Amino acid sequence: MAETKEKSLSDEKPKPRVRPIVRLGIFLISHSFLVSVVCCTAGVLALFLLPVLAKNTYISENALMPGSASPMLSNQHVSDGNRLVKDLTNPNSKSSETGIESHKIIAQYMLDLGAEVSFHKFHPQMNQFHPLHFFSSPVSGKIQENYSCSSYGINTVGIIRAPRGDGKEAIVLVTPYNALKSGFGEALSLGIAYSVFSLLTQVTWLAKDIIWLVADSQYGEYAAVAAWLREYQTPKFSSLSTPNAEMCPDVNNLFELKGHSISGSKFSNSFRRAGTMAAALVLKVRDQNEQFEDTISIYAEASNGQMPNLDLINVVNYLAVHRQGLRVNVEKLWPLLNSSWLKSLGEIFESLAKVAKSLYPKWKFGIPATEYVEGTATLASSLYYQALGVPTGPHGAFRDYQVDAITLEISPKFSLDKVWRNDILLRGGRLIEGVIRSVNNLLEKFHQSFFLYLLTSPSKFVSVGVYMIAFALLIAPLPMVAASLYVDANSSSNCSKGDSSTPSAITDTDEHGIAIRSWRWLNSAKLVFIVHLWGAIVSLLPYFISQIPDCSPTTSFMIWVLLSILSLLTLNSVLASPLACAKATQEKEWALVKSVTISSVFIGLGLMSVINFATAEIGALLMVPMCLLARPLKLDVRAGTLRSFCRLICNLVLGHIAFPPAAFFLLKGMLDGFGNANVGDFWMWVESLWAWNSATYLFIDLTWRAHAVVAHQSCMMFWNLDVLVLSL
Amino acid sequence: MEKVKKKIGSFSFWNWVTASIIFRLILIYFPKNLNLSSRPEVSTPLTSFRRLAEGYWLKQSFMSPYAGSMYHGSPLLLSLLGPLTINSLVSVIADVVSAMLIRATGQNLRLAYLRSLESLDLVKQIEVSEFLFSGDIAALIYLCNPFTIVACVGLSTSPIENMAVILCLYGACSRLIPLAAFGWVIATHLSLYPAILIIPVIFLLGCGPDSPPRKLFLQRHQQKEVLNQSKLPPRFSWGPVIHFAFWAFLWSVYVLVLCGISLKQFGGLWEMFKSTYGFILTVEDLSPNIGVLWYFFAEVFEFFRNFFLIVFHVNILFMILPLAIRLRHRPCYLAFVYVAICSMLKSYPSVGDSALYLGLLGWFVNELADMQFSLFLFCGYVGVSLLSPVMHNLWIWRGTGNANFYFATAMVYACLQIVLVVEGVSAMLNHDRKLRNLITGKPQDAKS
Repeated sequence: MAETKEKSLSDEKPKPRVRPIVRLGIFLISHSFLVSVVCCTAGVLALFLLPVLAKNTYISENALMPGSASPMLSNQHVSDGNRLVKDLTNPNSKSSETGIESHKIIAQYMLDLGAEVSFHKFHPQMNQFHPLHFFSSPVSGKIQENYSCSSYGINTVGIIRAPRGDGKEAIVLVTPYNALKSGFGEALSLGIAYSVFSLLTQVTWLAKDIIWLVADSQYGEYAAVAAWLREYQTPKFSSLSTPNAEMCPDVNNLFELKGHSISGSKFSNSFRRAGTMAAALVLKVRDQNEQFEDTISIYAEASNGQMPNLDLINVVNYLAVHRQGLRVNVEKLWPLLNSSWLKSLGEIFESLAKVAKSLYPKWKFGIPATEYVEGTATLASSLYYQALGVPTGPHGAFRDYQVDAITLEISPKFSLDKVWRNDILLRGGRLIEGVIRSVNNLLEKFHQSFFLYLLTSPSKFVSVGVYMIAFALLIAPLPMVAASLYVDANSSSNCSKGDSSTPSAITDTDEHGIAIRSWRWLNSAKLVFIVHLWGAIVSLLPYFISQIPDCSPTTSFMIWVLLSILSLLTLNSVLASPLACAKATQEKEWALVKSVTISSVFIGLGLMSVINFATAEIGALLMVPMCLLARPLKLDVRAGTLRSFCRLICNLVLGHIAFPPAAFFLLKGMLDGFGNANVGDFWMWVESLWAWNSATYLFIDLTWRAHAVVAHQSCMMFWNLDVLVLSL
Repeated sequence: MEKVKKKIGSFSFWNWVTASIIFRLILIYFPKNLNLSSRPEVSTPLTSFRRLAEGYWLKQSFMSPYAGSMYHGSPLLLSLLGPLTINSLVSVIADVVSAMLIRATGQNLRLAYLRSLESLDLVKQIEVSEFLFSGDIAALIYLCNPFTIVACVGLSTSPIENMAVILCLYGACSRLIPLAAFGWVIATHLSLYPAILIIPVIFLLGCGPDSPPRKLFLQRHQQKEVLNQSKLPPRFSWGPVIHFAFWAFLWSVYVLVLCGISLKQFGGLWEMFKSTYGFILTVEDLSPNIGVLWYFFAEVFEFFRNFFLIVFHVNILFMILPLAIRLRHRPCYLAFVYVAICSMLKSYPSVGDSALYLGLLGWFVNELADMQFSLFLFCGYVGVSLLSPVMHNLWIWRGTGNANFYFATAMVYACLQIVLVVEGVSAMLNHDRKLRNLITGKPQDAKS
């Protein structure tokens, strides 16, 4: 009989020549512990090396030709702009309650230049999260809300038709402006835009239409721009779908009056359009003053970590630094700038680079420690804002329609000085003019340069090819460990089967009669699937909870928790009580469960890295160690050695940290102090995330599920432990 | 005990069937939110219901339904489904019917398998009581597969095409020759590729459903030294095959006459062949789908186009003969392999095709118990079916990706299907080998 078995075994697997790639795979799988430790360390290290590996930006699209023409913006245009600023800051114009007066002034100014002017009425619309809209186009399925006549905003839109263009393309210039409480900065940004606008009505080189959108920011800058874009991109043909705004009589009267008072053939009440947008610039001037230099901050992150084409940032950076002498700034994570450990890490890298250079002079990859720290801080903020998935400014609305857009925020050095004001108008105006002229040269839409990148300084970037290496190293252990666990589980079960009397028969049965040897993982897959299903339900719950009126964040959070637990119990009872039946099998099958969990986490992380890299990277940092270390607590307790005790502690700590609410409170506590952390905050945060359709929300959900699986695994063991204690 | 088990099994079977139907009906109420009917994975130019509605409209207004290269399906579908394009209840019914047919066929196959094991005296070695009800499992896999659900809810005609294929196999298995011929003719008429299923159907009709190789039986009986003819599987008999050919001829003439009548004013049958089979064979529509041909023919020089068209289509034909020789004793499995290969090399594949072969795979749970890489394949399918929409989103809506991103997932998908077919076939051959070993090793076993 033994012979038979051997024979059948050897027949089943006739010892073939093992191919090198298979041998490599087997080697990796058998040393999965070492490999995973090495890979994870390398992944984290590579993440810290990214600022060193960053490349200098370069303008990839030849047609842009930034700065090749000398700026045409003269003092005449600047004084025009100054006039507008004066008129707007004049207290007389602010007397009206709705702020309609200042819009009238702006429209009149635009008309005087010969531009086409129209007003766009809009109602602030909350970004509604709808679970099924994530993958559909941004246009489809917007929910029409009930409008009230009381709250509406007015965008003023001026369009210059290009003398050389065919009206198929356009460049957008956006200046947020709150007519009710406008600061001096906003007026100044309007002045800059106006001076550029007045220049552009005269120039002959214009090949794309120019749209100047004065976005009414009393309901938020983003809402105004998004409402205008929605109207622009989805023309409404039927009279049925026109929003109720038209039915508000007072509003209409106002506009009628306005239409008459502003005499001009080029004013129209209807919505005006130009061609498809090539690029959009949002211009802001900050009221606060910078101590050192005139700086200009670039905000680029749109929703879900999308970035505009790198060429747009390059053009702005090039013109600002080399033509206008402005200091360009991108967002940094300020606390990191002073951290000593980062500085010492930078010094280590610097000294390593020095050693390398002394060995072989052509190796020049080192950067000074201070630069490294700054690069890391910028990179961290870049990662953070991309991971959050919430746009950093009104430019985010454009990205939803595939338009490249950035926000430029000018922070001037001095204040309220006539000469200085002219200077900032001139330089800002020339910068905008240069950018518009470059974009005007474009023949196609931006496509040459990168869309997937992280900035480490305004002129340095890490491209997708580089940062993906760090990520790939970090998650490489997952499939390997999953495979090794799977192989172990299968081979051990085969061994145990060999002891039983029937050869090659299928003996492994449980109460469901699943008797298939190589499909045994199906049970664990079912368990994991059920936990994921629960996660999906939990993540959909806020949508329904938010429908409940008058709920404070804390109570909603409590309702959420309660409903989650309830849904778990229901699922548990409905779907053949997976937890109970798993309890019996999990004792021996935890390896398979872990293997399936790790595979699902791997799929999820891989998916997320395509949707939003930064989220996936941060998530991987949290989840990979948790998933790799997860082990039934009972086994560790039983083993009783120091090593297993350490593992147990790691398990518990990681398990709690990676729990999304816990992670949130920890972060908040670190930033604000633990005193004022509140359960409701988490609710608010989640609400803000799904309001922006953030993929991070889905991801937190994924984290949640993975965590639930792991926690479940551990908790089952706890339960078993209790049972054991009781029986003793 | 067995009966009780079976009762429980069938009870939960019906539970699952109702659950899946209810799930479908729920999803049908959100057609706009899901937007499935415009997904490239679900509706191809051949299977899209929206195109069918367009063709129906053209026909209603007395124009050729093939005008404007919008509709490429059969004219019979227009008359049958045209008035029903509003809802997808038809596909739900088609799915349920297919599942029932799969169940019946699976039970047939299981009985045949048990019978052949009995005649080989292997009943004791392979614990027959542990055998799963492969029919139930296959039907449930077919019904609960997300691919099937998506194809059903997403308004495509693939549930109906799948039903025709399953009808053909069911008819052949239960020796209802007219039914088999009808299924084959309709399936071929609807999507051309099931034409190659004629080979498994001939084997099925000629020598009955799947069984271990004939050689084994002979070996077995030589060992026993009594050649019991009645226990041997029947030799290939031409009678049913000729019967089948007759019925197939009859049905195809009938279908062609019907098509001819409905297209009398609009160019007749030639127009139909040109815009259905011609459209399939020349890969005219290069809009992205989950197959690999669109990308290739978008890149290839016009000069070489015909050459590569021939290469790609002959690719399927090349595989027919070797597989038919190797798997001739298992015609149903051969049918599964053919369907899988077709759905891989099709010009306009959709998830509905994968739904079909994954469902058919369920028939062989007992034989494929030792299949390798099952977890890998499962994870691969899950990963690709999630990644592919994301890549599409990245390319079409966000504009940060490009066609290569999406095509990469299509290639991974094709590779997964190749791995599935290769592993499946080798697992099946291993199973046969195991049976042979059991037969030859039997005397030693008895001694010990």
